[in-house]
Amino acid sequence: MNRKISLAVSASASLFLAVALTGCGQEGGSPSAGGGKEKKKDGKPTVCLIMKSLGNEFFQTMQKGAEEHAQKLGTLELKASGIQNETDIDGQVAAINRCITDQADAIVLAPADSRALVSTLGRAAKAGIKLVNIDVKLDDGALKAAGLDVPFVGPDNAEGSRLSGEVLAKKLGKGGKVVILEGNPGAANAQQRKAGFEEAAKDGGLTVVDSKTAHWETDEAYTVLTNLLTAHPDIQGVMSSNDSMSLGAVKAIGAAKKKGKVVVASFDNIDAIKPYLKDGQVVATVDQFAAKQAADGIDVALKTIDGGKAEAWVKTDVKVVTGADAG
Amino acid sequence: MTTPAPTKEAAPAPAGERRTARQLSRQVMGEAGIGIALLALVLIFTLAAPKFATSDNLTNIATEITLNTMLAVGMTFVILVGGIDLSVGSVMALSGVVAGEVLTSTSLSTPVAVLLTVLIAAAVGMACGFVNGFVSERWRVPSFIVTLGMLNVARGAALEYTDAKTLYDFPPGFSHFGTSTLLGIPSLFWIALVMAVIGHLVLTRTVFGRLVFAIGANEEAVRLSGHRTSIIKVAVFVIAGFAVGIAAVTYMARLNIASPTIGSGYELSAIAAVVIGGASLSGGKGSMIGTLLGACLLGVLTNGLLLMGVSDFQRQMITGVVIMVAVVVDHYRGKLAARMPQKAAAG
Repeated sequence: MNRKISLAVSASASLFLAVALTGCGQEGGSPSAGGGKEKKKDGKPTVCLIMKSLGNEFFQTMQKGAEEHAQKLGTLELKASGIQNETDIDGQVAAINRCITDQADAIVLAPADSRALVSTLGRAAKAGIKLVNIDVKLDDGALKAAGLDVPFVGPDNAEGSRLSGEVLAKKLGKGGKVVILEGNPGAANAQQRKAGFEEAAKDGGLTVVDSKTAHWETDEAYTVLTNLLTAHPDIQGVMSSNDSMSLGAVKAIGAAKKKGKVVVASFDNIDAIKPYLKDGQVVATVDQFAAKQAADGIDVALKTIDGGKAEAWVKTDVKVVTGADAG
Repeated sequence: MTTPAPTKEAAPAPAGERRTARQLSRQVMGEAGIGIALLALVLIFTLAAPKFATSDNLTNIATEITLNTMLAVGMTFVILVGGIDLSVGSVMALSGVVAGEVLTSTSLSTPVAVLLTVLIAAAVGMACGFVNGFVSERWRVPSFIVTLGMLNVARGAALEYTDAKTLYDFPPGFSHFGTSTLLGIPSLFWIALVMAVIGHLVLTRTVFGRLVFAIGANEEAVRLSGHRTSIIKVAVFVIAGFAVGIAAVTYMARLNIASPTIGSGYELSAIAAVVIGGASLSGGKGSMIGTLLGACLLGVLTNGLLLMGVSDFQRQMITGVVIMVAVVVDHYRGKLAARMPQKAAAG
């Protein structure tokens, strides 16, 4: 309940901040003081990169990677923007609408919701803007219903978590008991990561005794896993859908005096997880190369602006990172 | 343990005995009601979830409610004067990352770094609290709006300060303390308990505490009687900020990280604990014991439902229903309690 109310409150509260944030992304020479109706004709196409919360390290990395890539190419004008929190769908709708008003040539979008943004994207497509979907795939059914064909440049989340889960399965052996910590219910990448973990568990002969959400959060993961460890004292492994939750999971395992007896398979490869990879409490995490995703998305956008045809799914790399890689 | 309070309270003020007695019995009724609800929940979970009533699990519950208890202790002061503080979650993140920066500094020895961390976290929390209180008093803006602003300012500042990065690598001794126990109870929960006890004493045994209640009940009357209500009202926000700073250090000690994204939504859990504890959002009514019981009730509920294997969505619904029921029951309990002493006096 807290989260629902908090969503309502923070969504309304953060509207003005979301505007401020996305406004910042546009400062790189915006000549649209007079309504932005006339098309810029300085030769360089404009590409809008719309990401999720820049409070998330992942999108910070993505933004930096995209900006470096755009600078290196020198053939486009990049307008990067983010939203206030992971579920600020209105913020993304507003950002897309601004790109339409600015008559951008292409939009590269990491959608906050795989269905809710499709109709707004339809408006953009009608305005002749090329669309590229990165990070989380837009829902196929919703795209079809809107008559849109949007190329997806991104990782296979299910494949990533399957690989991470595989490392855990090898470590535990057949018959090992595990629990899954899920991301936000309803989020496509959360569902895909869960599916990948489940597949790895099935293939490796692991038993999934329970699966609960901790909303991607460290503190909540601590609470949820502590209770799961109490309810199922024979758990040997945790499949955690992101590193933030794994940080909480590791502390919960330590507090339950099960360090070394329960290990974690994770996802994301943030800096803070590295010490636990090294000491073996986290057996694997997954890197999806945020910077590369945005750069590839921009490349596909430029290709379609030039009249080229993009593949339906340009898969970006997912790589399992283990203690050996962390050094 | 709540019953001795009224006699001691009533003793030094025999003149207003009838009114004080009524007020206090109402208060005790409120706490007793929450206590009964809490006992009922504990009983249900003991029967429904075999592992609920184990000492390990009770330790877990204590750990789980520590943060919310600390935040709720501060929030109680604010709600008693009729205010609200929506910024506690964000300010916790800001206090955490600013203090966490010191904690990760390798040039300081562990004790010095930890001491500085506590001081800085408390100072950041109190500074934010002061701004909340000052702005809402100086320009007569409802604290709801001011703290809503602070919610965004502090969150943004925390993100800006860290570039959205999670801080880690704290001294081992620090996180060791975070998971240590004293007499079977987590050390961090002891701190929360001490905060609640001090809060209770301040509210019930000091002039300041009496003024806090009085302002919530009738601010104009307090002002007319010659008290500077503004100072008190700013002070309660500073107290709340202090509690937030301590909560931030607690978070770091327990989870070994400080992140600019932590604590979102925590303000609502803290408010829920205070309200379940029998406080009125319009001020003047509530108690620290009630708040403590409210935090326990929320913690027991989450823990028990998780142990029973209730699904995430059902758990969310049940928690919401319990909050609503608590408030509705409180409405009737308040009426009943108000009538009781009169009956007693008549009989």
